[in-house]
Amino acid sequence: MHSFGVPSWRDHDLTFDPSLPTEGINVSRVHPLREALILVFGVIGVTVATVASIGFVVDWVAPSIPPKYEVYLFSDWFEAEEPAAAPKPRAEALRAVLDRVSVHWPDSEYRFRVQIWDQAEPNALALPGGTIAVTEGLLDAVTSENELAFVLGHELGHFHNRDHLRGLGRGVGMSLVLFAVGIGGGGGAAQLAAIAGQLTQRGFDRDQESAADEFGLGLVAAEYGHTAGASDLFEHLRATSDASALASYLSTHPLHGDRVIRLEAVARAAGWPLTGERSALGSKLEAPSDPSSETEPAADPVSTE
Amino acid sequence: MEDAMGIAVLQVGIPLALLLLGYFVGGAVERRHYASIQERELRWRSLPAVNFRTVPGGWIVDDATLVLGNVVISVDYFKRFLAGLRMLFGGRVKVYESLMDRARREALVRLKVETVERGYHALVNVRMETSQLASGRGGSGVAGIEVLAYGTALKLRTPPT
Ligand SMILES: [Zn+2]
Repeated sequence: MHSFGVPSWRDHDLTFDPSLPTEGINVSRVHPLREALILVFGVIGVTVATVASIGFVVDWVAPSIPPKYEVYLFSDWFEAEEPAAAPKPRAEALRAVLDRVSVHWPDSEYRFRVQIWDQAEPNALALPGGTIAVTEGLLDAVTSENELAFVLGHELGHFHNRDHLRGLGRGVGMSLVLFAVGIGGGGGAAQLAAIAGQLTQRGFDRDQESAADEFGLGLVAAEYGHTAGASDLFEHLRATSDASALASYLSTHPLHGDRVIRLEAVARAAGWPLTGERSALGSKLEAPSDPSSETEPAADPVSTE
Repeated sequence: MEDAMGIAVLQVGIPLALLLLGYFVGGAVERRHYASIQERELRWRSLPAVNFRTVPGGWIVDDATLVLGNVVISVDYFKRFLAGLRMLFGGRVKVYESLMDRARREALVRLKVETVERGYHALVNVRMETSQLASGRGGSGVAGIEVLAYGTALKLRTPPT
């Protein structure tokens, strides 16, 4: 050891034979992957818990908000929609099917409207405020009235369950969470939270789709006395689409195959007959026989947003 | 659907690729840097470098000058990502400790090299300064850190052997 009384080198009071820096004192001996695991799972856990809590609160509050207020809230969202390009008879026939189905939800506070969109992909959307949009492609793809009735019933289910309001509430909550994480931890943390949050949201989305399916199936059973034909559309689409396992996991809607099985289970549990006679579509709704207008079904046939 | 898949792949894939790049390449760079630091610390070990503010008694000084050793080290995406997560919870930012350690030691080694190359024999009043370089993107991120080591280099009448 040196004496530091009076620093003096030449007098040999102070020798210069310093040791090298010791490793592991100024740098913690922790494997960075261990640190990474703890932090990543910490952020995922906090995000999932927060997003899920917001989701449950929103689901709890949404039913107590009157539909009138919901219509007002979304009133300027879809004004710029393309006008119905379909010939009037088709829209009127669609309207008639909707009326036949919606009559089994008598205490609805919505005033429903239908729109036909000139798109080849089979799709149906429940627009906030009470409008149901159906694409030409979907009308071309359905083969019976029961099939179409279930699609409309599913969309009515989204109104019944206040899914737009719940989706909006969850979206706002998610934005707030991501904003907070971004402020606190920067872009990388926000990206991680976004992935964790979106996977959490998918759980809610899937529940929403299942609930809408159940509601729609109930309307179909009430109108026709059986649920035959309700899942025909998904059978058609399953035969043509090649959604990979990952794609189906990431998609908002449950797998077509799962959906068919689920619908059968719901019908069985409710005691609704699975078989019966399918009603014809009627000439006004049927697809034009021109072969050039054949459509390719999309992988994601029925969406709400 | 395919668009959504593509976006999901981009959203997950690009940060993941950056993380892997940071972890493997950044880790290799760090190990090589440490090896180089340790080798040069050993080589310049005997050059006196102290933070006394005065010349030690008994030294006969012929010349003195200010010398600087400076280094800038960048943060890899892996470290930056973990530091961001750490900022949410608080606690020791362990991934940045090695960054600071390397920068301080590199700056000191450079200070010694500068001293020797200019023909001086010893360093007193050694000090260090650290500053953070903000990244270009709005100046919010950390692009890297700078450590400046400076001191007074002395030319001695009787150089140490
Ligand atoms: Zn739906």
